[in-house]
Order: sequence, then C-alpha cells, then structure tokens
Amino acid sequence: MNEEREVLNYDALVVGGGIAGGEAALNLANTGYKVLLVEKDRSLGGKMILLSKVFPTLDCSACITTPKVSEIARHKNITIFTESEVTAIVKKSENNFTAQITKKPRYVRVEDCTACQLCEKACPVSVRDEYQFGLIGRKAAFIPFSIANPKAAAIDIENCTLCGACEKVCPTHCIDFTMETKYYELHAKTVVLATGFNLFDPLLIPRYGYGQYKNVITSMQMEREIAPTRPFNTILRPGDGKVPDRIAYVLCTGSRDATVGNPICSQICCMYSIKQAQLLMGALPMADVTIYYINIRSFGKGFEEFYQQAKGMGVNFVKGKIGKIAEKENGDLILRYEDINEGVVREAEHDMVVLSVGVKSNPTVGKIFGRGELKLDPFNFVAQEDLLGSPSKTSIDGVFVAGTASAPMDIPDSILSAGSASSEAISYLIQHQEL
Amino acid sequence: MKERIGVYICHCGGNISDYVDVERVRQAVENDRGVVLAKTTVFACSDSNQNDMVDDIKKHNLDGVIVASCSPKLHLATFRSVTERGDLNKYTYVHTNIREQASWAHSDDKIGATEKAILLVKAAIAKSRYAEPLYPNQFEAEKTIAVIGAGISGMKAAVSLSDKNTSVILIEKENKVGGHTATWGPLAMSDEKGSDLSHRIYSDLLQRDNVTVLTGSEVISSKGSIGNFTLKVRKRAQQAGDPVETMEFNVGSVVVATGFDPYLPKAGEFGFSSYENVITLPDFKHLIDSFSGKYLEYRGKRINRIAYIYCVGSRQVDGENRYCSRYCCTSVIHAAIQAKKKFKEIYNFHFNRGIRTYGKQELLYAESLQQGDIYLQSFEDAPPQVYAENGKTKVKIKDVLTKEKELEIEADLVVLVTGMVPRADNSIGTMFKLPKGRDKFFNEVHMKLRPVETVIDGITIAGTCQGPKNIVESVNSALSAAAKSYSYISKGMLETEPIVAEVNTDLCAWCGKCAEACPFDAIGQKDVNGKQVAVINNSVCKGCGMCAPVCPPDAINLINYSSEEIMSMIEQLAGG
Amino acid sequence: MKKNAKILVFSTEKISDPAIDMAGLLKLHYPPTVYTITVPCSSGIKPSWILHAYEKGFDGVFIAADGSDCVFGESCTEKTGNVVSITHDKMKGTGIDPARLRMAAICSVCSESFVKQIRSFNDYLIKTLHA
Repeated sequence: MNEEREVLNYDALVVGGGIAGGEAALNLANTGYKVLLVEKDRSLGGKMILLSKVFPTLDCSACITTPKVSEIARHKNITIFTESEVTAIVKKSENNFTAQITKKPRYVRVEDCTACQLCEKACPVSVRDEYQFGLIGRKAAFIPFSIANPKAAAIDIENCTLCGACEKVCPTHCIDFTMETKYYELHAKTVVLATGFNLFDPLLIPRYGYGQYKNVITSMQMEREIAPTRPFNTILRPGDGKVPDRIAYVLCTGSRDATVGNPICSQICCMYSIKQAQLLMGALPMADVTIYYINIRSFGKGFEEFYQQAKGMGVNFVKGKIGKIAEKENGDLILRYEDINEGVVREAEHDMVVLSVGVKSNPTVGKIFGRGELKLDPFNFVAQEDLLGSPSKTSIDGVFVAGTASAPMDIPDSILSAGSASSEAISYLIQHQEL
Repeated sequence: MKERIGVYICHCGGNISDYVDVERVRQAVENDRGVVLAKTTVFACSDSNQNDMVDDIKKHNLDGVIVASCSPKLHLATFRSVTERGDLNKYTYVHTNIREQASWAHSDDKIGATEKAILLVKAAIAKSRYAEPLYPNQFEAEKTIAVIGAGISGMKAAVSLSDKNTSVILIEKENKVGGHTATWGPLAMSDEKGSDLSHRIYSDLLQRDNVTVLTGSEVISSKGSIGNFTLKVRKRAQQAGDPVETMEFNVGSVVVATGFDPYLPKAGEFGFSSYENVITLPDFKHLIDSFSGKYLEYRGKRINRIAYIYCVGSRQVDGENRYCSRYCCTSVIHAAIQAKKKFKEIYNFHFNRGIRTYGKQELLYAESLQQGDIYLQSFEDAPPQVYAENGKTKVKIKDVLTKEKELEIEADLVVLVTGMVPRADNSIGTMFKLPKGRDKFFNEVHMKLRPVETVIDGITIAGTCQGPKNIVESVNSALSAAAKSYSYISKGMLETEPIVAEVNTDLCAWCGKCAEACPFDAIGQKDVNGKQVAVINNSVCKGCGMCAPVCPPDAINLINYSSEEIMSMIEQLAGG
Repeated sequence: MKKNAKILVFSTEKISDPAIDMAGLLKLHYPPTVYTITVPCSSGIKPSWILHAYEKGFDGVFIAADGSDCVFGESCTEKTGNVVSITHDKMKGTGIDPARLRMAAICSVCSESFVKQIRSFNDYLIKTLHA
C-alpha cells in the first residue's frame, strides 16, 4: 500500500489498552519513557471496565478501572490511539522496532465532543449494543458506554445511513464525516503485547441452546445486568422480562473440554460465577442460585474464603456435568445433568441459565509479526520462552507479553504479569541505552 | 479559614446510593458555612467527573475540595491530584469515607446510613476549613536497594534491579541461595530442574558488579524510612573461630522476599509420624529425584502403591489455614507422573478435594488421568483416614462418586500433600511492622491497585511471603516489586509528608516531656527571645503525634490533626 | 428506648482504620451511630478531645489502638495506655463513668473483633445510659 504514513517515535509501544496494557504503559511512563498505547476498541479499559464487581473483595470494577484509565489518559508520557490496530511489527535490530499502525476514523472530533448525547437521540438507526453484549440496542451515533474513556460519541459507519441527523443536532459541530483512516509508521525501542483474550463462543455447544433459548445467557451478559452501569434497572431474563428466581450457572462452558478444542482450564470462571452468585443473592434475596461444577477452583488469595462465604450465604453447589438444556413453553429451562455426588442423571428446572464461558486466546497477536517470529503455544497464546525464569519474555528479545495474551489469568495475576513485563521492558531500555 | 468549599458526593454506581440517600446528603450540607457548591456524581473517580472538578475549582474559585466516596486508601491520591490540577495545594483536599464506613457497614439500615453519611460530610467540611496548603520537604533518596531473601523471587528481583543499573544488597539467612526451589528436581510446566533454574539465575547474578550477595546473613535492625533506611546486617561466622561480622547499609527501598515454610503436619495427622511410610510432599519429591533404580524404594521397602492425600494444612475446615495453597495440586500430579515414568509398577491414588490444576496446568491432570492414575474425592467434612491393619497402611475414603460406600486402599507409601504456610520466623515482618492478612501472610495495600506495596512506604513484597504462589507467579510478583522499588529511587528526590508536629512557642515553657515521648529524636531545645522552647526537626519528624498529648500546657499540635480541627469535627459528628 | 448509643471511634490510618473498612466490605453490621475519626497513631490522641466528645453528647469513646503493630514503634502501646489512664482520672474527677471510654488493639484485619467490641460497648452504654 502506498498511503502516506506519518512517522512517530516512542520509547515503547504497548499493544492493547485493557487493564494489563494500561498497567504496563503506566509503569513505563512513570519511569520517564514515552509510550504509545494502541487500542483497537473505542475505549480503554478492556473487559475489566465492563465488569460489575471484582472478586474476592467485591470492590466495584469501575472504581478500580476508571481512575486508572483516567490516569493513563492524562499522563504526559502516554499517547493513546483508540480504534487503531498494529498491523505489522518488524525488528530491525536490538532496540529498534518498526510498527505499522492503522487508525480508523471515529467521525467525531473527540476533543470537541461534550458527550451531550443529542446525536444519540437524533440517530434513527438502532443496532445491537456490543458493550451490553446484545442485551439492548444502541444507535449508530452513540457513546460507547457511560464510563468509556475517551467519553465521546462515535459513529458506527458500518450501520450509519449517512442521514445527517446527528450532524444537525450536534451543538459543537464535532461530527465530521470527512475523516479518513490514518496510517502511521512507528519507531519504538521495545514492545509490550497486552492483546488480552477472547471469550468462548457458546454457539459452539448447540446442546446448551445459547442463541436459541432466550433465557440462556452468557456470564458476560449477566455481568452487565448486575453492573452499576447496567442496561435495565434490575435483573431480568431476556425472554419475557421476568425477574428470575431460579438461576443456574454452567461452569466450564468451553473450558476443560477437548471436544471444543479447549482442554485447558480458564482459571477465572469459578470465581466470577461465585461472585455473580453472591451479588444475585444480594439483589434478589428470594432467588435460588445453583452452580453446576466439575471442580471449584478457588485458588488465589482470599478465594477459598470467598467460596466458603458463598456457601454460607446459601448458594447451591452441585457437582455435575450438564448434558443438555431444553426449553419449556413458558421459557423456563430444563437442565439434564449427571449428579456426580449421587451418581445418577437428574433434571432440574431453572428460569434462567448463565453459561460461564471460558477464556480463549486472541490469535490476532501472532499475525503482527513475520511468519513464525513470535512463537505461540498450542492454544495460540503468546509462548513464554522461559516460563519459570522470565515469564514475560517472548521468542523475540525486546518484545514482552503482559496479562492474558500469554495464558488465562485473573485480574490480580494480570496486573502482576503486566508489572513483570514492564519491569523487563524498562530493564531492556536501560540495557540498550545509547550512550 | 476556607470560605469556598466544593463538596462531591459519590453514588459509586449504586454501592453508596443503594443504601445512602445521596441527594439528601447533598441537601443537608449545601447550605453549610463555606460551602459554595455541593454535587452528587455517579462515579467521582471517573475521568469526566475529575474534569468537572478541575473546571469547578477554577470557575467557582474554590479554596477547598471534599469528596465523600470510598475509603481514602483507594482514592485519596486520585483526588489530591485532581485538586492539584485545579491549581490548589493538594493538602487542601479532604476525603471522607461513606462507602466502607457508611453504605456498606450499615446496608441493613438505610436511614441510619444516610444520617451517618450526612454527619461524616459535615465533619469533613469542618476539617476542610482548617486544611491549609502544605509543602513537602524534598530529600535525596539512597540509590541502593536491599532484597531480603535469595530464593527465586529475591534473586530475580535482584537481577531485575541490577539490569536497571541499581546497586543491590541481596541478603540471605541460609548459607546457600535458591531457597526451596534449589532443592527440587524437574519442575512442573517446564521440566527444568529446580536446582538448574536456581543455578542459572545465581550465575547471572554473580556476573554483575552492582550486586552484593550476603549469605548466612540476617538483617537485625532497620532505622529510617523510604529513601533512607539504615539496615544492620549480621553475617554468621562461616567457620569456627571466624568473627561475626556486623555491617550497615543505607538503602532507599527494601524488597522483602522471605518466602514460605512448607506445612509440617502435626503428629498423628493422617498418620504422620505414627507410621514411617507417611511422608510429606517435599520429602516425596526429594525421594523420587534422588533415588535411582528400577523400582522405587523407601526405607528399604519397595514402593508400588502410592496414596496422595491432598490439602494437608490447606483449606482446613477446623484449623486456622482456610486458604488454598494453589501450587500443590499441580506439583503433586507432576511428581506422580515423574514417579510413574521413572520407576516400574507405580500405581498412584489421589485422595483429593477437587483438583485445582488451573489454566494450562490442566494438561498435567489430563496426562495423569491418561496414564491411569486413580482419583478419589472426599467430602469436605469427611477427610480420608490413614490407619494400619495387619502391618499394612491403608487409606479409607467416602468417595463422592460412590456416595455411601467406603473405599479402602492399601498403600506402600502415603504422601501428605502439604501446602504453604507463612514463615514461622517473622523477624523481618516484626522489624518493618508489615501487616498481615487474614491468612497471616504479608498483606499488600490493594490486590489490584497496589499489589506489591505495603503500608510501610518504601517496602515492597515479592513472591510467596505475600501468599502461596507457583514459580511463574512468584517471578512476576518479584519483577513487579523490583520495578516498584526502583520507581521510588529512580527520580533521585523523594518528598516527605509535611504532616509534622508544630510547637506554639508562646505556650511552650520547655519541660522536655515531648522530646522524651518522641520515638524518632525529632525534638530539640532552642532559645527563642531568651526563652527555652521545643523545636521540631521537620525532616526527622514522622508525624505520629506522640508528643502532643504529653505536653502540659498543650503547646504541641500535629498539622492536620490540631485540637481545633478534631474538636470541630467532634462537634459536627455529635450533631452540630 | 434507644437501641443505638452514640459512639466516637478513634482509628489509626494504617492499622485499625483498614480493619473498620474491611468490616464494611464484609457487611459486618454495627450501629450507624458509630463515627470514626482517623489519626496517624493512637498515642497521639489528646484526653481533651475525648472529654470534648462527652461534653458534646457522645455516649462513649472507643480507641481502636495500633497495639504492637504500630508503625511508629513499640512505645505506642504504653503511650496510648497513658492517654487512657489520664483520661480515666479526669472522667472520674468530673463524674463521668470511666467505662464510657474503652480501648482495644485492632489489627489491620481484625474486622470481626472490631464489630464484636463495638456491639458489646454499645450494649453496655445502652444499659447504663439509656435503660
């Protein structure tokens, strides 16, 4: 391609603006290095900013993410590109990386937008809201979510009809349909990969009925239902808007399951399900919450105590593998499962089922580098070449991996991993300082 | 006195507003003396609200700012920096906690929680009236960092600091480095030998001029604080007749990496010390690593059938250790696979409480199942029993798979899968006053916001002294701690908190009681206009306030905690 | 009859206040008429503050002391004890029941112990002052 590329120079490139990338960028910036943070989405904060509360302390997730994100956004040593992708990175020599970056147009001048939402009201197009995981709709001119950063409107050009209604109502005239994709060439001395993970797609397990039965939802959808910035003001089942009172969790959906190509454990689902169960017990005191599990893996600091606390609160734990889910006419669901404690196959009726979907790798990270240069593990996570000695080192010297780009991880471990990656990156920068 | 105070009351997205009527709180304080602005906000800490605050400070010419939200441990620093961005001195900011200490603590009483929040905000307003600009002293930080403990975590922290061109003193109590790991054979997830891993990190360390390794050495005292600790280190005599050496080091920060103790079962616990073929996981690992031969033997007897009893010393139902030790499931499964590969006719029986091979470690569990290991899971309230019958050692379990039926397995060797416990020797914790968590391991300030820092500024924690971890997790924590300790000293200058004692020289008639009470020797005597009075050395004063109550004429106050301020707060809390 | 006594708690920034925070986090309830003022160290509390609280209508004052965990050194325990005994003397002098001042060392994770102490103090104050 022959687009004009603006040339940029930074000490460090951080790919991914979730909690791990953000932490790594902050550590580098606080040490005095200039950082370019590239995020593909419209907001920083990754998956964490969309969560309700976090285990095992039940701190609200926004209370930890938003100030951190705001510190990143304001840091004088950090430049942020949202809606941008790193398409290629080439290592020219030690301490010398060249990256190609594509920045898609937002069609809104972020610095002028006041997030007044008038464009949202004016826009006639309604589409599925990906930030609410499809629970509700959004407009094509919209603010991604209420605690997004940057908090500014964006135009979803794929769905926009170019009717111009938003442009007319915008009081600051910040909507600009002439914006174009920009291309950059970045020179950086080190790279931190924090490209995160993908959620397992439950459509791959048709017998659970996701996508077919409306009251079977994913854990991320439940996360939104109980978040402070939730779409409804209460917890509803999507089928008919009824407040559920018999809620089931199906653990290991897409994890520890070789039949769907993911034999490993996702490490977070037990705990987030226990957390959601506790929050549901608080929000719906009369509801029964049942967790169907194979093993409960509450291994981290304070996790086992959190699990015991959930049992004490009356959350029902059933050791059993779910065979099949069927729907009744009234939208209730019948779970057929093997009760391991009793050794029999049983059926149970619930009015809402939450699939505790697992962690999958984000394979795009492998494509950034030349063929075979960045080694991946059999599951397409970034391979950790010296796992025990230097967990954040990759197969390329000077490229480090942070957070769930290398393996499933919970938030505390992601943050420590980001601390480790940025620590190695700082060491690398110091060791290769030009004298 | 502040006359233009802005008050922000946070919903915390429901965490506060579900229990505290924040609008009522706002109305109750908006007309208080000095308040020119009172707002509620969904998330006070969000970027948009922070920007609004900065704008408000300028637009309304505020001279004091209050946020009523979560604990100051989370966001005092956040809002102090917002205040600074509004060109106010950050010490004019006052924080009040209406979440942990109102909405959450009294979620059972919404009216009570709201009443309490109102009075807490009113007390904050009273305090805000006295909150004057303060200016910290700057001082130069020592450039050397001490790392205590030379296990894998400590050594990796030292390597990382050395890479950052920082001098390191690595202090190890034992005569050898490498901690527990140095004694292991092949490790889970990489099959590298623990001794090799330890050796290669140590060799790397030895090549560095800026690292001093002191083995057989203990830190016996610490003085000073962040930027300027003085550690006294005693090196044991290496040979009889050698003198005991005592050294002193000035360091800017300390990384504590003192590790864990393996849990030692009590006599009789699952047959431990009652039967000679009941051993712990570390003993078993050493046995299979060191024993060569076709068949495994222990104390001269051939071993074919091995029973592993999980969660010994962890997840105790009755005991003190409620936590999961997280590394043991993977470690023992790996060891069992090793045993089966290395020796003939090994049959493994795993008496577990739910296998926790999280993440990619799950593959080891799958491998073990594939090689035919038998897994039996007990009910949480009915652990397996170890007993002897006709000279044989047996393990009995009520397995969850077979419900009522009790299974019994004869074992040649019983391995107690022992977890991690905090070091029995807590001398370092006591010396630095490091607080411990509910699990008795050292506690971080905040698991997600400040995971390697302690409440003692300048002291970071790495590896298993903070809680059970495997090697990967320990190294990540060590490198994070190294980066954090480095960040304290890398800028050269540090600031001291300007919260110090202040003497009212009109009232003071020098009696020396304050100087006697001061634990830091920060108070001296000085002549002012022919009168002897007390004088505070601001760079030494730590702001504890111990001098204040002992002063007979009440001539000493701690800045920010003066009698006037506290009493006006008390008046507000009492209901005005 | 009143159910909740009005209690002023002096907590310390690094040790006992985190425990009181954790009590909230764990939703261990205690009366909402318990108010906390945080100071750096419990040995810096002046007897005059405590007496002022009774004068202004507080039923009780509770010092959540650092104990041996104090970051400012071992002498904290003894010095906080002195503050309490001097205050007790002054209370006796002015006819205030000395039992209306309580002190206990609250470590940084002693949330349950804090709540237990406060509840029993509350019961005592209700019985003696509001029965």
